[in-house]
Amino acid sequence: MEQFKMKVKRRITLLSVGTLGIVVFCVYGFFAMASRTMEDGTFAEFQLGLLFGIGVRAIIEIVKLSMVMKDNKKLKMLYNKENDERLKLIRSKSGMPMLMITSTLMLIAAVISGYFNTVVFLTLIIAATVQLLIGVIVKLYCMKAM
Amino acid sequence: MKTRIRQLRKERKLSQEELALAVGTTRQTITSIEVGKYTASLVLAYKIAHYFELTIEEVFDFSDVNEL
Repeated sequence: MEQFKMKVKRRITLLSVGTLGIVVFCVYGFFAMASRTMEDGTFAEFQLGLLFGIGVRAIIEIVKLSMVMKDNKKLKMLYNKENDERLKLIRSKSGMPMLMITSTLMLIAAVISGYFNTVVFLTLIIAATVQLLIGVIVKLYCMKAM
Repeated sequence: MKTRIRQLRKERKLSQEELALAVGTTRQTITSIEVGKYTASLVLAYKIAHYFELTIEEVFDFSDVNEL
């Protein structure tokens, strides 16, 4: 349990650093948007929105993990949830680890390609979204069936 | 696979969450095992049986398992 506590502490630290970086980028993006042309307005707004969404999610996770650290019972429940054999099987059946990695890579590629080609940017966004949606549907089905 | 987990829980006035916490799993997994939707692994089955101070055969019903 001590090792898991350290793991959670590390997670909180990483999320905090990540959130700080996102805040800096968002602030820069907000002020830089004023100088952008109409043509790349959509891309800039998407980038800002995506980062804002990730930032909000990260803050929620930091608060949740901080509350878990204060309660041993909640810490044990989190440990059980992360190591539960049934949930591991469901995650594996829905292709979750690989799906998350490929979707994240597609979103990063979309953000980069947005500087060069809007069509490629939109295609990658839609593909990543559909991929994640399919993964979620399969996961929900497996949770119901098992 | 049928089990006696619900009956054993009720005898000891134990909630699904308490049992899940004790054996290192989630309440949803205990529910799935009780209704027969999910078959526990050997390790989890042992942990549950050990918690109730019984053998695996006394907790899990293997009569449905096809004979070789």
